[in-house]
Amino acid sequence: MIELHNVWRLYRMGRETINALASINLEISEGEFVSIVGPSGSGKSTLLNIIGGLDSPTTGRIEVDGQDLSKASDKELSSYRNKKVGVVFQTFNLQSTHSALENVSLPLVFARVPLRKRNQIAEEVMKTVGLSGRLKHTPSQLSGGERQRVAIARALVNNPKILLADEPTGNLDSKTSEQIMGLLTSLNKERGITLVLVTHDLKTAEHADRMIQMFDGQIAGAADRK
Amino acid sequence: MSLLDFLRSAFFNLGRRKLRSSLTILAVVIGASLVSLLLSLGIGVEGFLTAQIRAMMPPNVVMVAYSEQVFEIGFTGPMFGGKPEEISEDEGGSRFDLKPLTAQNREDIEALEHVERTDPYILLTADSVRLQGAEAKFRTALSSLPAYQAEMRQLVAGRHITDQSLGECIIANGYLESFGFQQPQDALGQKLVIQVKQAKGIFGLPSEIKDFNFEIVGVAEKTVNSTEIMISIEDGKEIARFWADSPNMYSDELPPSILQAKVDGSQYAAQVAQEIEDLGLGAMTSDDVLGVIGTIFGIIQAVLSAFGLIALGVASLGVINTLIMAIYERTREIGVMKAVGASKSTIRLLFTVEGASIGFLGGIIGVAIAYALGSAINWVSHITFLKDFETFKISVFPWWLIVGVIALSTIIALLAALYPAHRASNLDPIEALRYE
Ligand SMILES: Nc1ncnc2c1ncn2[C@@H]1O[C@H](COP(=O)(O)OP(=O)(O)OP(=O)(O)O)[C@@H](O)[C@H]1O
Ligand SMILES: [Mg+2]
Repeated sequence: MIELHNVWRLYRMGRETINALASINLEISEGEFVSIVGPSGSGKSTLLNIIGGLDSPTTGRIEVDGQDLSKASDKELSSYRNKKVGVVFQTFNLQSTHSALENVSLPLVFARVPLRKRNQIAEEVMKTVGLSGRLKHTPSQLSGGERQRVAIARALVNNPKILLADEPTGNLDSKTSEQIMGLLTSLNKERGITLVLVTHDLKTAEHADRMIQMFDGQIAGAADRK
Repeated sequence: MSLLDFLRSAFFNLGRRKLRSSLTILAVVIGASLVSLLLSLGIGVEGFLTAQIRAMMPPNVVMVAYSEQVFEIGFTGPMFGGKPEEISEDEGGSRFDLKPLTAQNREDIEALEHVERTDPYILLTADSVRLQGAEAKFRTALSSLPAYQAEMRQLVAGRHITDQSLGECIIANGYLESFGFQQPQDALGQKLVIQVKQAKGIFGLPSEIKDFNFEIVGVAEKTVNSTEIMISIEDGKEIARFWADSPNMYSDELPPSILQAKVDGSQYAAQVAQEIEDLGLGAMTSDDVLGVIGTIFGIIQAVLSAFGLIALGVASLGVINTLIMAIYERTREIGVMKAVGASKSTIRLLFTVEGASIGFLGGIIGVAIAYALGSAINWVSHITFLKDFETFKISVFPWWLIVGVIALSTIIALLAALYPAHRASNLDPIEALRYE
């Protein structure tokens, strides 16, 4: 499903070159739940962004579902971000001036779904993440856990095959974190959605089928739990 | 994203920063209202002049003289000014040197296809007009017209003169007041005395003064020509012969210098004029005159609307500024939109539509304000200096002016939005999401 071949991501800072990712080879199959752990600055977010089509490798090749992202045009990449993957960020990244419902339906806007249908789908998805009573709330009127549910609903609204989550519970208390983790794992188990989860928390990481350890931009080790 | 979504988003975002958006729109409003008001005034005045000229010189008439220059005196020479022209020797010094057309010329013209008839163009000078039996004398401009031209004047009372009319006239509306008639009908059947002094008198030579008697058979509608008295060609000839002390004038012996040829359809006027020029004569149609007026008004309007265009240009800087500020404020939002599937072209269009909306709103409000001002000007003018011209409007708003100015402001704002839109579309999603 997801294949990375010798992927490098370099940042040039004056004379210095930072290898955010160095020679990454990775394969993730459909329906798999992979967690990525590693110290701060090890390249976890960079890897996730490349899988999410938000960033491109400096060299190397990434293929998702047979589509070569490194060669994709802006149109193809944006459609990939719109329909194939959903991304959940640590900082939620919601539109503060729009209601929860509008936030959730944003990807549908770019998928050219008409307004009425958009609201219908978004409402449905919000129900599955347990937010039926919060449609008209703006992000500032929601709790942290609710905001993250809105972000998850938004990531799911176009029915993607892949869900990428970058420390989705980093800003939440432990009880809320557990609820969010429960929601994500159930999406993987019950809907067969491919889940890639970046986390600091080893306990959380252990829910995954496979745990990937990153260090200095490289994959330092992998543990298969199956 | 559908067009509706783009518009929804544009108006939502404009509504978020009401004061800033309003000020930016206000700048467009000023430019748009300036352009449309100035153009509407130009259109109104030009339309008025055109109507007046059309009434005096019908579209199916071609004026003919021995040379094109005869017409240039009146129409292009003094209006354009410029440096004195060099002349060739055989041209002669005076442009007022009217060479008569020959009888052969007239026959040639009448033989042309589409030419129905020719009449002499008679220039008349009368000293005064008065009601028979009354003392008060008034100024007058006599027009000696073939019936088909006289019939183009709208009457408020009576009937038109015919080609056979002798001693009959139609008076301009203004004379009703001068002669003290309450109703146009009161003037009908009244007798006028037109006094003519021979031209020789100008040079101090002994000259005669003669009274010509006319009966009022019609009263014309109000026009700019408030001293016009219309008489038939035959009456005109008689007065002209006395004035010039030349009994043979306008006969084959002494043909007229200017002929007016009637064409059997105004669409042939230009073609006939060309054929007459091919005969080595000068020709002029009403379209030529209107063309000159059109050119002059075109220049005036271009200059006037340049001010409005400058205002619109300045307003476009406001649009650029507003949108660039918006990009800074909404960097994270742009990042989120890109992250969930907005392509570069979508973001670009989003900002372009937002800019165009500013122009569109400014254009609509600007035209509305100009329309209101124009109506106010029309109203004021009708109770003051244009009292006598109820149907004439100084400010005219044809549909194309309304649509054109709104489109112009929209396009200018759209063009101004292109650069900010390009910048927004090129934001890197990761960096935009990190932006504080
Ligand atoms: N735009 C950038 N310019 C320069 N260096 C960058 C840039 N983005 C990331 N890096 C560097 O790349 C490396 C990997 O960053 P990344 O964000 O992937 O780390 P991370 O594993 O997600 O860390 P954390 O757990 O703190 O989120 C870091 O050393 C970081 O400084
Ligand atoms: Mg990170």
